[in-house]
Amino acid sequence: MTSLMTFMKKYRGDAIIATLATLVIAFATLWQPRILQEMITAILARDQGTVFNLGIQLIGLALLGIVAGVINTIFSAKTAQEVSADMREKGYRKIQTFSFGNIEKFSASNLVIRLTNDINQVQMVIMSVLQQITRIPILFIGAFILAIITMPKFWWIIVIMLILIVAVSAFSFTRMGNYFEKLQTTLENNNTLARENLMGMRVVKSFVQEQNQIKKFSKSSDEMTDTTIRIGNLFSILMPAFFLVGDLAVAGSILLVGSMVTTDPSMIAAVQAFISYLMQILFAVVMGGFMMTGASRAFVSLGRLQEIYDTEPELTFPETPETDLTGDVTFEHVSFTYPGDQEPVLQDISFSVKAGEMIGIVGATGSGKTTLAQLIPRLYDPDSGVIKVGHEDIKQVNESSLRKTVSYILQRSTLFSGTISHNLRQGKEDATLDDMKWAAHVAQSAEFIEKLDNQYDAKVEERSANFSGGQKQRLSITRGVIKQPDILIMDDSTSALDARSEKLVQEALDKELNGTTTIIIAEKISSIIKADRILVLDQGKLVGMGTHHELVRNNEVYQEIYRTQKALEEV
Amino acid sequence: MKDLKGAGRFFAHYLGKYWQKLSAVILLTIMSTYFQVKAPVFMGHAFEDLAKYMQLYLNPATRATATRTDFNHAILNLIIFYILISASMLISSLLISQVAGRSTGTMRIGLFRKMQRMKISYFDTHSDGDILSRYTSDLDNIFNAMNQALFEVFNSVILFVGMLIMMFRQNATMAWITIATTPIAVILATIVIIKAEKYVNRQQDDVGKLNGYINEQITGQKVIITNGLQEDSINGFVKHNDQVKRTTFKGQAWSGILYPLMQGMSLLNTAIVIFFGSWYVLNGSMSQAAGLGLVVIFVQYAQQYYQPISSLTSLYSMIQLAITGARRINEVREQPDEVAPENGKTFAGIDAKINLKDVHFGYVPHKEILHGINIEVDKGQMVALVGPTGSGKTTVMNLLNRFYDVDSGAITFDDTDIREMDLNNLRDNVGIVLQDPQLFSGTIADNIKFGTPDATEEEVFAAARQANIHDFIMSLPDGYQTQIDDDNSIFSAGQKQLMSIARTIITNPKLLILDEATSNVDTVTEAQIQAAMDNVIAGRTSFVIAHRLKTILNADKIVVLRDGEVIEEGSHKQLLAEKGFYSELYHNQMVFE
Ligand SMILES: Nc1ncnc2c1ncn2[C@@H]1O[C@H](COP(=O)(O)OP(=O)(O)OP(=O)(O)O)[C@@H](O)[C@H]1O
Ligand SMILES: Nc1ncnc2c1ncn2[C@@H]1O[C@H](COP(=O)(O)OP(=O)(O)OP(=O)(O)O)[C@@H](O)[C@H]1O
Ligand SMILES: [Mg+2]
Repeated sequence: MTSLMTFMKKYRGDAIIATLATLVIAFATLWQPRILQEMITAILARDQGTVFNLGIQLIGLALLGIVAGVINTIFSAKTAQEVSADMREKGYRKIQTFSFGNIEKFSASNLVIRLTNDINQVQMVIMSVLQQITRIPILFIGAFILAIITMPKFWWIIVIMLILIVAVSAFSFTRMGNYFEKLQTTLENNNTLARENLMGMRVVKSFVQEQNQIKKFSKSSDEMTDTTIRIGNLFSILMPAFFLVGDLAVAGSILLVGSMVTTDPSMIAAVQAFISYLMQILFAVVMGGFMMTGASRAFVSLGRLQEIYDTEPELTFPETPETDLTGDVTFEHVSFTYPGDQEPVLQDISFSVKAGEMIGIVGATGSGKTTLAQLIPRLYDPDSGVIKVGHEDIKQVNESSLRKTVSYILQRSTLFSGTISHNLRQGKEDATLDDMKWAAHVAQSAEFIEKLDNQYDAKVEERSANFSGGQKQRLSITRGVIKQPDILIMDDSTSALDARSEKLVQEALDKELNGTTTIIIAEKISSIIKADRILVLDQGKLVGMGTHHELVRNNEVYQEIYRTQKALEEV
Repeated sequence: MKDLKGAGRFFAHYLGKYWQKLSAVILLTIMSTYFQVKAPVFMGHAFEDLAKYMQLYLNPATRATATRTDFNHAILNLIIFYILISASMLISSLLISQVAGRSTGTMRIGLFRKMQRMKISYFDTHSDGDILSRYTSDLDNIFNAMNQALFEVFNSVILFVGMLIMMFRQNATMAWITIATTPIAVILATIVIIKAEKYVNRQQDDVGKLNGYINEQITGQKVIITNGLQEDSINGFVKHNDQVKRTTFKGQAWSGILYPLMQGMSLLNTAIVIFFGSWYVLNGSMSQAAGLGLVVIFVQYAQQYYQPISSLTSLYSMIQLAITGARRINEVREQPDEVAPENGKTFAGIDAKINLKDVHFGYVPHKEILHGINIEVDKGQMVALVGPTGSGKTTVMNLLNRFYDVDSGAITFDDTDIREMDLNNLRDNVGIVLQDPQLFSGTIADNIKFGTPDATEEEVFAAARQANIHDFIMSLPDGYQTQIDDDNSIFSAGQKQLMSIARTIITNPKLLILDEATSNVDTVTEAQIQAAMDNVIAGRTSFVIAHRLKTILNADKIVVLRDGEVIEEGSHKQLLAEKGFYSELYHNQMVFE
């Protein structure tokens, strides 16, 4: 709520205009019955002049109502859109400060729901509040006062009526809040299922699991349906109950008047006015009730957004001045455990790399190679130990200096929909066509890019579906090398490349990025055979370090890997 | 307006089966309207009775005869009517909430069902997030409209028709005068609605795009973080966000002004009724007293006549969002399904051979990827496809499974064209380990038995053992019951591939396709898997794609693809002896020391 107010503050002016317009509308609504009343009197009295006058007034009132209504709509819509756009932007900005860990905790599909559906709930409520806000209290308070004045003795009827209405509301609203919470969660579940089916449609189809996926989705969808129906049922109780309470108050007052009329005949006239005021109170309450339902859903959504706003990034970078880092990398007794896990994935790793060296990392699947590599660009912080890049503790370096220095090519190549050049510019913002061509030649992607119709402006589809596995990898290597980083980390980045392309990539890297420290994680020994040093990982421990020749001779783990890769026939 | 027809068909389709409930709602609405009109009459009676009672009571002569029985009776009737009003409202809104909830559920499942039937090419060319926004935004809008506007729509239509009947019964001329401005209102409304429809359509399309952007960016957040692209990503977001802000503002403003416009029209109309009504009465043949009375009545009618129109238009923005939502969901519903033959032949195994005969194929028109591929595989053979990246190896696999269909030529299993086979049966028998292993939310066990949901625990364990992932799974605190999903990786890339292998092995396919199944797996593990797989592959026809040539040395036949053409074919020894392309590849990779 407080957070909503801070967002609204900026658009105070628009909100006030919208509110003032509702005042004019309220005035017009209250005024119109009077004019009509007078007009009817005038017609019956055949007073042409007055009729004409009043007619003009009526037309004026109509125009005033239209103008005020249009102004109200425009400014309410404006405020609602501005506020929700700001909220969305704030959420998105916050997410962009998140680290790997934060993202995994929230999960992408849930974050998307919060930024779209949840914000939409808030937006709808802002809009409807701004269209009603002054009308409801004016109507309610006005009618309340007038009712009391008309029949002071019956104050208790109003009080009982209000108590009953509050009780009914309390009953449904407390429940509704929980259901709305549940509704948003089931919505998230549906979204997760639909999303993973979109991403894994080939898997679903090749296993002929369409029917089972439909079953799974139906289950989740039914849960949402049940929740909406529960909410609908509560809501269904609300309005008739309000009406019943109000109507019974009306009937009750007439009945009471009936028994008292003998002592006070004037009551007959009074009670008629009293009834119409009761009806107006009821009308205000019903409108308020409508708004409250919307609001209780919006509150749930606000809370869910607040969770994003309140999340602290798991790691933050210091605001130190921009520095130029060299390509040296040092690990000093580094241990690391994934958040939420007990067992450390890396244990007491120490090594150091001089600028310009080429380092290979090998080890079994799950031995911790990727994990180790991820610590260099500081995607996670180690539990203990120090990592230095360019002789500086990376915890003391600001983010952009580190990103500028280290280029990390992820194991799973991910491109964004758009064009090839758009993806390459992610590596270097101001890359020229020549830069792109250079990088594409290094990564051996020029060979296929230049065959495409639009070359560097060729389209990339969602999930880069229009490129083959090896092409994707080469594009992501291209993106990685384009900024000529001081440190290049390639996490199994040539696994989908044929041997010839891989060899060409290596030769080009050797020639074109000579001063760059390259850290290559690979399964194939041929990929790293020329490395200055090779690190051998086994179950999170560094069990060997040296050149290929050294390791082949004295490292058991390495020997085993080597054995599985030796050519059948000596060439 | 043009979407209205589509929306009409859409809602007729989904609401059709609730016709009983909806008729009940209409009936109840008529009843409650009747009660609402009738209740004031009883109140009037009550006051009349009370007045009579007073007269009698105040006159000492008749005081003894004064009784409130009539009055009490009237009040009782009033209370009964009030209860009936609330009861009919309660029942009809309970019914509506059922119908709205259930039919939205059907739409949601229907959309998902449709998604499962569409061609792979649709997903390759459309943004995931945009498709997802149809679930989260458009269906939500449709639900809101049904839930909150359905009653109002019925109520308004009934009131409107009722008013027309009443007015024409009273006096036809006055009735004509009253509805004379309606065409103007309709024209005004049409203009506004056309505008509103245009912008609400844009609004939802932009919401879809924004959703697509956020979904893709956050899915690829790791790339953004590692490349320090946060600012860029925010800039792109701001563009989409501003666009949504602008079009939503226009959409909401245009659909929102209809209500004040119609309210104003209602007042103007009242003024017209008064002016023309008085003129007509004064110049007519009616007695003036009766005529003026008529005007007074019609002033009230004029207001009530516009009442249903206003209350409908106050919900218009909701209704328009639902119409647009129906259009966007229809867009998906109208996509072509995968073509599956009606009474496809089933096949229980390969008896003789698989043939690719002169296969031509391209993903997009005029860009052929495969230029006449011929491959022949005998039953039980293991065939390896090798070749430079992008040469079309995965494409061949896509065709074997009918993710795509050949442009010309044919793929036959034992001389039966696969396009004549039952699609599900075909895919059941073709097991494929895809290049990109996608996991699903659920437990590890669920993921392994993805293709055979009723596999026993032993079978799951056996498959995991063969794929060399059993020990790792057992080392997790929750073992096979560990909850996973694709984003939330507790697996390393290689482990994920092992999961994907286990998931295929367990289905025991007749034809096994391995597309770079172990590219991220270390060679020691790979060798172990191969040893285990030798049993699996033995006697089974299989296609293997691998860049690590070591994996395929034992293949019965190696087919070398380049630029969509088969350039070499033979066993490892033969190809080495040929000293062609394959032999160069082999030497590039294998030469040590
Ligand atoms: N969905 C698609 N739409 C358009 N073009 C595509 C699509 N999928 C693949 N291609 C193109 O078809 C060609 C062959 O791709 P394919 O995936 O078959 O290669 P591949 O031999 O499997 O390569 P890799 O070894 O890299 O996996 C490539 O040029 C690729 O760009
Ligand atoms: N995000 C994560 N959360 C929890 N555990 C993880 C996470 N990522 C990896 N692990 C675990 O950490 C261990 C090391 O994983 P890592 O990805 O570093 O392996 P790797 O050596 O790169 O393997 P591969 O060769 O398969 O890529 C594995 O046992 C894996 O299960
Ligand atoms: Mg890895």
